[in-house]
Amino acid sequence: MRPCELPPDPDLLQWLDRQARQVCDPVARLRYLRQALDCPQTIITERRPRAVLMPIVVSLLLLASPAPTGSGAAAPAWHPTPLTAPARQAAPLWLVERTDAFEQYSNGLRVERDFLTAGELRRPRWAPRHEQDGAQPPDPAGIVFHASENDPAPFSPEQNVRLKREGRALLAWVRQHRLYHYLVDRFGVVHRILEDEQRAHHAGQSLWADGRWIYLDLNESFLGVCFEASTTGPEPPQLSPAQLRAGRALLEMLRARYRIAAENCVTHAQVSINPANRRIGYHTDWADGFPFAELGLPDNYARLLPSMLLFGFEADDLYARRAGARLREALELGRLEVARQAQAGGLSLARYRRWQQERYRQACLRCRGVKESSP
Amino acid sequence: MSQNAHERIGLDVGTSRVVMARGVPGDYRFASQLNAFLSLPYSKLTCGVLEKENIPSTVAGDQILVYGDAAERFADVLHVETRRPMREGTLNPEEPDGPAVVRSIIELLAGGGQKSGARICYTVPAPPLGCDESPKFHQAALAQLLGELGYKARSLEEGLAVVYSELEDSNYTGIGISCGAGLSNVCLAYLSVPVVSFSLPRAGDQVDAGAARAANEVATRVRLLKEQYFSLNGQHGATTLPPKLNQALKVYYEDLIQALVQAMREAFQQRSLPRIDRPIPLVLAGGSTLPTGFRERFEQAIRQTDFPLHISQVRLASEPLHATAKGALVAALADM
Repeated sequence: MRPCELPPDPDLLQWLDRQARQVCDPVARLRYLRQALDCPQTIITERRPRAVLMPIVVSLLLLASPAPTGSGAAAPAWHPTPLTAPARQAAPLWLVERTDAFEQYSNGLRVERDFLTAGELRRPRWAPRHEQDGAQPPDPAGIVFHASENDPAPFSPEQNVRLKREGRALLAWVRQHRLYHYLVDRFGVVHRILEDEQRAHHAGQSLWADGRWIYLDLNESFLGVCFEASTTGPEPPQLSPAQLRAGRALLEMLRARYRIAAENCVTHAQVSINPANRRIGYHTDWADGFPFAELGLPDNYARLLPSMLLFGFEADDLYARRAGARLREALELGRLEVARQAQAGGLSLARYRRWQQERYRQACLRCRGVKESSP
Repeated sequence: MSQNAHERIGLDVGTSRVVMARGVPGDYRFASQLNAFLSLPYSKLTCGVLEKENIPSTVAGDQILVYGDAAERFADVLHVETRRPMREGTLNPEEPDGPAVVRSIIELLAGGGQKSGARICYTVPAPPLGCDESPKFHQAALAQLLGELGYKARSLEEGLAVVYSELEDSNYTGIGISCGAGLSNVCLAYLSVPVVSFSLPRAGDQVDAGAARAANEVATRVRLLKEQYFSLNGQHGATTLPPKLNQALKVYYEDLIQALVQAMREAFQQRSLPRIDRPIPLVLAGGSTLPTGFRERFEQAIRQTDFPLHISQVRLASEPLHATAKGALVAALADM
């Protein structure tokens, strides 16, 4: 008989019990509970890494929720683990050499500059989530991951000529339209298309938020990193080992250089919105299968979408179908949380959403103010 | 990433049967085979006949091993006893061909094709009551053979699998009991977390063996008669059983139920349990819970005891023979 330790706080357990009951899907509910109360003996042959979902959910709920008015709705006091993994003693990372042809970094990353083009400067658009002391978010504040969505040839030696030809054609197209800051081709070669301080047309109508800031129009405040891959085919998207290695080194460099929080490294599908119909996911690339873990990031699919939580955007059926299990789970939790917020505020869901829409309008105005006052 | 990487499978490797579960919530599918085999002297002719008749078999040295459901049919025809790769919930050390047979049965259930990357969750017994040591060899041997078949394998205790299969309504809080052939496994879980789990070497095989001794019968015959006619409340077919055997089965079943209830009392009293603010359900699964009246007698035994937990209901799993595999599948699906 082997005991398993539960968190000692009975209020927390009861609160989790109530939260979990709102997840309809039995598998999603079990996953939610297991990750919230991660126990090494649940699965005994292979210990899983410490769960991240619950701290993320609780943090977001605490950060984003209006002060609950009913005692029953409040989460008990709990100190979640930090959103980002504890900082390791990172090796110093610097630019070793830059020529017209390439950049070489001390972590082994080599960035080719053969498709570099000129662009306009980014003018970050953000607003503080709460009254703050005039501090500003880092710039760039985050990274949006994209898939090129071309129709890639099979990754095999017989296809080498085609792979090279398609890669060059894609690069030419990306450069012509200034689509991303970086493109990682099938062979793991990292190409710079624009300098980091320039604007790429990668995210379109989009928004994201972290604990302190709301970011609108991510072309202005986030970098765009594209992997040559397709996420729309019948097969699950898959990056080549070389792409994973290069992507990891690129992220390491960007996050070290700009102090970008892990929670702000997200996929296009998570940030894309359509303000005209108030739907999430005008673009759906990497709605599923993005290899966060392999790139050294936490599973950001578990994060509740700020567009839904803060501004009342909703996911339609098409988006839900494209989303993977983890993102669908976040959508379901987000829906429940919005309903809870409405209930806690004594509002009908429709009225609460109207209030959220007004909040979005005001956030746009506030962001515009930032933009106008920017140099 | 291959298509298999997205497949999730639950596997209950029981002493009596191997059950494989596939599918998604609302559409679970099960396949099972008897976890037994018999050996025949090798000859090309026999091999050819078996192959022609599509009877699952494999060659091991100078023997042909016929396994799965076919083994029982062959045993009837040849008037021999089947052999079992497992005993008391773990691989039988006296059957060196055991792991190979289990592997063949799993392959038979899984069908053809490469399994690379498919995730499988398989059940293992909990440590015996009063002992912290899990059956490591059994667990490692299964992990190895599943790995060789191309699966990404994880194990799950049987009692917890019953909880995952049946206790969704109570947020995976309650007691799951798998009462199989070789062992009974118990798990008290709270919000999906196993708080107390243990196994007890009392289950169907002990009932059969004890009743067979008492009634001077063969264990296999006792099992067949029990499955067909035995009822704990005497309402179903009791007259068809020889009275002595009927009485012996009742005695040994009573003993099994009392042993389980007492073991739970002991285990739950030893631990400081979480404060559970409402009565919890108890679910029974496994082939040994099938006789009519088992659930009622079990509930009676619980109610008559100073049980340390408030039990809201005692019920049978919706599909007692598949519950453990279903729970393993639910765990595999949740483990994405």
